[in-house]
Amino acid sequence: MNDTNRGLNRTVLLIVGLVLLVGGGAAATAAAVPAVGDVWTSSGKAALDALRAAGDATRIGDTALSWAVIGATAVAIVVAVILFASLTTLVSRRSRTVLRSSGSQTPLGRVTVTEGFAADAVKNSLARQDGVLSASVTAHTVRDEPVLHVSVTARQGADPRSVVDHVDRVMDGLAAVTGADTAAYISVHGGLRSRLASDAPRVS
Amino acid sequence: MTTPVLRRVVRRETHSPRSVAFALVVLLGIVLALYVAVELILALASQPSLLVRPMSALQWLAGLPSNAPVAAAVAGGLIAAALGLWLVVLAVSPGRLSKHEVDAGGRVAVIDNGVLASALAQRVSDETGIARDRVTVGVAHRSVDVTVRPGAGIPIDETEVTALAEAEIASLKLARPVRTRVRVERHDEEEKAA
Repeated sequence: MNDTNRGLNRTVLLIVGLVLLVGGGAAATAAAVPAVGDVWTSSGKAALDALRAAGDATRIGDTALSWAVIGATAVAIVVAVILFASLTTLVSRRSRTVLRSSGSQTPLGRVTVTEGFAADAVKNSLARQDGVLSASVTAHTVRDEPVLHVSVTARQGADPRSVVDHVDRVMDGLAAVTGADTAAYISVHGGLRSRLASDAPRVS
Repeated sequence: MTTPVLRRVVRRETHSPRSVAFALVVLLGIVLALYVAVELILALASQPSLLVRPMSALQWLAGLPSNAPVAAAVAGGLIAAALGLWLVVLAVSPGRLSKHEVDAGGRVAVIDNGVLASALAQRVSDETGIARDRVTVGVAHRSVDVTVRPGAGIPIDETEVTALAEAEIASLKLARPVRTRVRVERHDEEEKAA
């Protein structure tokens, strides 16, 4: 889990895709159909003339410089900076979340459970499970709510249902100990590691 | 307790963020924007251009129908359009990852299709006595394919395998129902050799 802005990803892809689709289609049609080609050439000429006129109108004194070209340069640089900034949204900004029970409910004080404690408790408990090759626990903040993510790599052929049920019981236990039932999300993976490790034992 | 928060988590975990395509497009955009900026600055300073002056490039583009060979212009345009169509499809399609959500009481659980398939194959192999490498299971978003290749002369009841697979799938408690298809494959060469 990370904070990648997926709406932004898809919007950018959609806009760029539409521009390429329309531009490429228009160019292909203009090259293939002479009538369309004439429209392409004449409108392109008009656009170029407009650009030239803008350049001439904003010329600075007698120099070759013009504000229009300077503006276009600035726009190109700003676009590059904005694009670069949007790339940084891809980088995971996972915050280490501290899980805590609400302090007001316990007269003795407040219980704070760190992510590390929850992770160790769940990991140790899962280590004894046959179908589990490895497990990791991370805490995330989703819409200002803490969510525990239990990621389990299952052995090949292991029953994922029993793995999920076991994790569910472990989480119940953690909730009972800490007094806070944190939202939890369980993911069971396979992949190369489970393929290379020995199979789940068939005899219990 | 499938709260909106957990629903959001499941949605994010089972659908592609399209980050790779986005990163590629944005990187190309950055390179293009910086290149344009460099060419404009060179043009402002009246220096020779790196490749082409921006104005001449636009001029060439405006005269494309007469400047380039028809076949090349059409091909280039179609390639750009196809690329654009592919990006639009990427943007609009759901991009489902090969994972299944399963019911997990108050929590949510997502299992890779590969894990489901290998568990299913193991179970079919255990129950029917057919060697594990002769059972192939494919788990897709809406269907499960079980292919069994029993050795020559080994009897196997297709309905029995179907019932077995369906019972196992039911016990997994998938959030989305799947169709089960069982095939028993027998190779002629094996039968003749036996």
